Amino acid sequence: MEKPLKIAIYSGEIPSTTFIERLIKGIADSGSEVLLFGAVKKKINYQPRVKVVAYKHSQMSKFWHLLKFTTLLVLFKPAEKKRLDSYLKHQKRNDLYTKVKCYPVLWYQPNVFHVQWAKGIDDWMWVQDFNIKLVLSLRGAHINYSPIANSKLAAMYRKNFPKVDGFHAVSRAIGLEAEKYAAPKENIHVVYSGLPIVKDLRTPKKENTVFKIISVGRSHWKKGYTYALDACKLLKDSGLDFHYTIVGGATDIEFAYQINDLDLSNQVTLLDRLPYNKVQYLIMNSDSLLLPSVEEGIANVVLEAMALGTLVVSTACGGMAEVVIPKQTGFLVPVRDAQAMAQALKEVSELTGEPYQNITQQARAFIGTHHNEEQMVKGMQELYESLN
Amino acid sequence: MRKKKQHIQRIGLVLSAVPGYSETFFRNKIAGLQAQGFEVVLFVTDQSGSIPDAFGCTVISAASFKGSFWRVLIISVWTLIKAFLFTPIRSYKHVKLDVADNFTLKQSLKRLIQNAFLFSQNVTWLHFGFGMLAVGRENVAAAIAAQMAVSFRGFDLYLSPLKHPNCYKLLFKKEVRYHVLSNEMKQDLVSEGVLESAIYVITPAIDVSFFKSNTNQLTRELQSKIQLITVARLHWIKGLEYTLQAMAELKKADISFHYTIIGTGEERERLMFAAYQLDVLDQVSFAGRLEPVAVREQLKVSDIYIQYSIQEGFGNAVLEAQALGVLCVVSDADGLQENVLHEKTGWVVPKRQPKFLAAQIKELIKLTPQEKELIRGRAVTRVQRNFNLDKQQDEFVAFYEV
Repeated sequence: MEKPLKIAIYSGEIPSTTFIERLIKGIADSGSEVLLFGAVKKKINYQPRVKVVAYKHSQMSKFWHLLKFTTLLVLFKPAEKKRLDSYLKHQKRNDLYTKVKCYPVLWYQPNVFHVQWAKGIDDWMWVQDFNIKLVLSLRGAHINYSPIANSKLAAMYRKNFPKVDGFHAVSRAIGLEAEKYAAPKENIHVVYSGLPIVKDLRTPKKENTVFKIISVGRSHWKKGYTYALDACKLLKDSGLDFHYTIVGGATDIEFAYQINDLDLSNQVTLLDRLPYNKVQYLIMNSDSLLLPSVEEGIANVVLEAMALGTLVVSTACGGMAEVVIPKQTGFLVPVRDAQAMAQALKEVSELTGEPYQNITQQARAFIGTHHNEEQMVKGMQELYESLN
Repeated sequence: MRKKKQHIQRIGLVLSAVPGYSETFFRNKIAGLQAQGFEVVLFVTDQSGSIPDAFGCTVISAASFKGSFWRVLIISVWTLIKAFLFTPIRSYKHVKLDVADNFTLKQSLKRLIQNAFLFSQNVTWLHFGFGMLAVGRENVAAAIAAQMAVSFRGFDLYLSPLKHPNCYKLLFKKEVRYHVLSNEMKQDLVSEGVLESAIYVITPAIDVSFFKSNTNQLTRELQSKIQLITVARLHWIKGLEYTLQAMAELKKADISFHYTIIGTGEERERLMFAAYQLDVLDQVSFAGRLEPVAVREQLKVSDIYIQYSIQEGFGNAVLEAQALGVLCVVSDADGLQENVLHEKTGWVVPKRQPKFLAAQIKELIKLTPQEKELIRGRAVTRVQRNFNLDKQQDEFVAFYEV
């Protein structure tokens, strides 16, 4: 029997985002050994095939971590340690913190080292010298806009991307974007995010007295909430009775000012971040989930809403068009276009029960087929295995 | 020749930090008051470490209450002891006034600790440079037997209350003389219940000899590639994302242009991505922060100045552009519509409407040279006459004397 692969899934912090945690669980369940390196934010009880090799954010914890792996490497892998030290010195990254991060990886030498965030790729190019395959996930801002404003970052991508063994693209669109930074097309594998699907969920049109719109996401400009609020002004002027809730936008003065400026206090509520189950409840009880973003890989919240039977109105940013098929699985509008957003929301508000349910059922079916956890795990396994 | 004041008044100006080189408003104000025979004492609330040389002012800085629990405790106790030891009457009065305003004794002592640094000087006026600096310090002027003045600058009047609801409730009950930048701000203060007679509109002003246009600038035709410019922090209140949308509209209309944004800020990435996504990155330059002379030279070679802000107290850069004979298109945010008179000295467009902005720019491009010259000429004359530093200084002198 073949030895299972040792896969390091690295996001820097443990636990990571919901979708990366799902990937960790899925890969471990499929038989591979998963190694998690980095700093522990919160203790998590993973299944036995997940090994956590982490330190806490305290100086003492980092010191013991370094001491432990320095000792192990000196005793059992002195040549490799010397080679890594020489590399780090050459790179002028000879500081202790870099060693706290790198020594454990050298000690365990996984088959695959999968970096989740592209901005950190330069720190991990060395692993290829130790027969470790390097995989990079292509996600959101790291690919879509940061290198546009930061020419040094773009240059770093152009230097490193041709050498990366495999790319995991969360959408076809982001894969194309990475090609602009010299990522070889043949190394890019699109593996869509997966999520658990609640079976036998009925998705009728909600019976809300006012048309309820919801957006969920941190208060960041890339979420495009200012365009959503401009759209709300147009909806209000059109006479539609609606209410718009932004979960995660409570503390943002820009939104508060815009709401005040456009006289939308009665139509818009800004909520703080909420626990996952509460967010699910709010999505399920809304008539429409609005994704006004100007940039996304594929927004996970849209996948969630589609799985929960809430009709999605999304901008066509990033890879959203790969999920939201106009009038089939949702409504798609151009980015930065408040008028089009308002028009689409108005159209959704006018849908009667059956057409509404047709779209939400097709959306659920789409998620079930293309965004289930099994296909995500299978896709990632195939990527890892193809490199070894 | 302008007359100097006969009797020396001491003005205690409260700011968060000593004004930096680019903060011309306060630097000009301090220099102007000194030139008129006032003595200025600068109180700074949030600047620890070495204080830079500040225009011959006495500078008093607040203690820093940052750090470990024990450090804060020791500094607080020491500040309290010093306050009662060296300024006992003022400290007692401050606590008494706070208690009368329904603060608990504990709250009053806390406020005393924070404000004790303002007790050491005798001043005629205690003038808070921003509205938020007066919050929590509403009784200081009365405690030190000074008159109280507060300047509102836009951000503090319109945005701070959204972040801190009712933050000015107590302040608006006090006897305060207010300085605002525009009539619009004055009306907004009146609607908050402030007496109209207590509010003085003193607009920003510029050095009109430094920003001086020549005849060529007034009569020139637009360049074949139209040069548009904005001088602003890269911050959402400046409406630059909407401006870039308008630039995309101009590009769609096949207008040959280049747009330069002078300024730095936290939203560079947001704006660069917007320019990229709107496909105008090649038509837009982010020039970063420039020194005043370089700003002036950039303005001189520009055809149209845009200030499409979402919120703007008044807009000094718009005055500078007008003084140099650059055609100005601005939003109707707050004081901007007083800064530029629509279709007289420039154009005012409703905010958050990039298509309207683009339409206005297209329209002005079509104007005859004579029509453009007329607008430029009016703008230059109005700025020179109404927004010069001498006039502003006189208004501040009157503000303290009335």
